[in-house]
Amino acid sequence: MATITLKNISKVFESTGKKKSEENTRTLAVSDFNLEIKDKEFVVLVGPSGCGKSTTLRMIAGLEEISSGELYIDDVLVNDIEPKDRDIAMVFQNYALYPHMTVYDNIAYPLKLHKVPKAEIQERVMEAARILDIEQYLKRKPKALSGGQRQRVAIGRAIVRNPKVLLMDEPLSNLDAKLRNQMRAEIIALRSKINTTFVYVTHDQTEAMTLGDRIVIMKDGFIQQAASPQDAFDHPANIFVAGFIGAPSMNFFPGKLLRQGDVYCVQVEDLIVQLPEEKCARLAGKDVQPQDITVGVRPSHINVDTGVENELTGTINVSEMMGTEVHLHVKSSGNDVVIIVPVIGSYASYEKYLRQDEVVKFSFTGEACHVFDSEGKNLEF
Amino acid sequence: MKKLKRNAVPYLYIAPTVILMAVLLVLPIFNVIRYSFYDNAFVKKNPSPVGWLNYQKVLADPVFWQSVRETTFFVIVSIVGHILIALIFAHLLNTTMFKQRTKTLARIVYILPWIFTATVISVMWKLIFQPAGVMNYLLGFIGLATKNTEWFSNKDIALYVVTYINLWSGYPFYMISVLAGLQGISPDLYESSAIDGATSFKSFLYITLPQLKPILLSLVMLDFVWTLKTFAIVWTLTAGGPMHATEIISLYIYRTAFMENHYSLASAAAVFLLIVCMIVAVFYTRQQFKIQED
Ligand SMILES: Nc1ncnc2c1ncn2[C@@H]1O[C@H](COP(=O)(O)OP(=O)(O)OP(=O)(O)O)[C@@H](O)[C@H]1O
Ligand SMILES: [Mg+2]
Repeated sequence: MATITLKNISKVFESTGKKKSEENTRTLAVSDFNLEIKDKEFVVLVGPSGCGKSTTLRMIAGLEEISSGELYIDDVLVNDIEPKDRDIAMVFQNYALYPHMTVYDNIAYPLKLHKVPKAEIQERVMEAARILDIEQYLKRKPKALSGGQRQRVAIGRAIVRNPKVLLMDEPLSNLDAKLRNQMRAEIIALRSKINTTFVYVTHDQTEAMTLGDRIVIMKDGFIQQAASPQDAFDHPANIFVAGFIGAPSMNFFPGKLLRQGDVYCVQVEDLIVQLPEEKCARLAGKDVQPQDITVGVRPSHINVDTGVENELTGTINVSEMMGTEVHLHVKSSGNDVVIIVPVIGSYASYEKYLRQDEVVKFSFTGEACHVFDSEGKNLEF
Repeated sequence: MKKLKRNAVPYLYIAPTVILMAVLLVLPIFNVIRYSFYDNAFVKKNPSPVGWLNYQKVLADPVFWQSVRETTFFVIVSIVGHILIALIFAHLLNTTMFKQRTKTLARIVYILPWIFTATVISVMWKLIFQPAGVMNYLLGFIGLATKNTEWFSNKDIALYVVTYINLWSGYPFYMISVLAGLQGISPDLYESSAIDGATSFKSFLYITLPQLKPILLSLVMLDFVWTLKTFAIVWTLTAGGPMHATEIISLYIYRTAFMENHYSLASAAAVFLLIVCMIVAVFYTRQQFKIQED
């Protein structure tokens, strides 16, 4: 039940060199971060390691001082407000359960600190334990729990207080793949049971896509794009986002943008495709001139052996049979291209794609093309 | 034959230690217990058993009871003081408010008292506390002492001064132990606790103390035994005086045995000390087992 507003937030870590010869280093962990998080929104911060996700989250929590900028929770400036007075809860990557307390006491701890009456504590801890299905472990110490169970306790401790904001820093990264999927589903389910604003940090784009109402893609301390998962997938703001969202990653080809009136075409080698009307309209609206571009095409949007004119060619380097589809790693005029070929029909119809060094022809349509300028920015934006 | 040999080997290995322990530890303890049931051992050529007479005599000695009271004060104040000082200093050394270099320097300064031997400490504090010494000079400014204030020969305050010096000379060990314990606590716990709504004091109460509990318990028991048998520092400071005012139990035993030659009485007093130490030792061992089980 809270909005969070980050205005021009920056974080600089200053570390003084131990010896005289070492220079003092300044790490710009987060720069000029602007974001408005709506009430009850589920926002996911995603990006590669070291991009400043945790730092941003810890600034919201109040664990890290804000170097510059303003942070508002429910329109109250909280820059100088202590974590304990921000009415937030956080799930740590390594859970940070209190080892000397039982599971019950761990979950009850925030309530105890807020002077909730004993009977109510009991009621609310049981309620949280029921939601997370950990009722049978309440008397145990954290040490006697599995990773997944600890995770639930950590979440239980966070939700028991009905905080305004629930922060999670890579809560699933210590779990194995199967448990991770299961817990991911449980977090989605949890959302419908508790009404709070979520800020979730992960480096896993699948998690980001499946959990977030909105995902904020970060790199080197800068926001690259903040958009709904579908939007980020369909209209990546730049090459970085395009490559980061979606697995396997988008393919990039050097190419040319051609223009004839309000009609734009993309040329890669000899293949020329016309961009769809809405894209053309957007480019024309910005009066984009013909230029050298990078063309991005998702692996699943590349078609093989369609027989269109001037198809691109390549040889299969590796071919991975995934069951319902084959992932081809193709070498094509110096580029590594990943192509997803759906498996339909008889073995004979796709058998050739399983052979190494087989030559394949491929192409794509204008609908599949994302066009980026020489600096990597999406020309449509 | 071979099997016997194999079975004997481990015992052979530990034999030297066992024999040494027997000669140096068990035998004297056993002897002390035996002496305590004889009339004057050592002094008489053929001492004869006297039953519980020595114990009765010791228990009837008002100086013994005075010594017990003083020892109780000395031990309890030392333990409480050591642990409190250790907690405070260790926290100071563990803050993030100072730079690492400052903290290293502070740690060296804080640890200094520990490197002096008892005699050096005694000489130093005797100089400080002598009537024309630094302490009276400094306290003179705030009117708490004059050039004539006596610290060691005043029977009402000598014990306090001696206890204070014992506190000073012993705290570094406890401080370092607590510091090691503090550094072993994951910072996440404090962050989590702060977010859960705890003030620093609440975090200290609910996170730091429970996390330090095993260490603190060990330290309390060690300190109990160590302080109970403190001898050198008190002996060199006051030799138990004035008028037995600082005669803690170890000094009482020493005086009875080696100055008054009542070895049997001293033995009886020593047996009381032994029993108290044994009780603590049992608790200590029990607690260690419990920690291992946890
Ligand atoms: N206490 C610190 N002192 C100095 N630099 C720091 C500190 N904490 C983080 N940094 C730096 O700030 C940058 C951002 O770190 P941050 O922990 O926010 O990354 P992250 O996105 O959470 O990465 P990961 O996915 O690996 O957790 C990194 O370059 C890191 O080295
Ligand atoms: Mg992180």
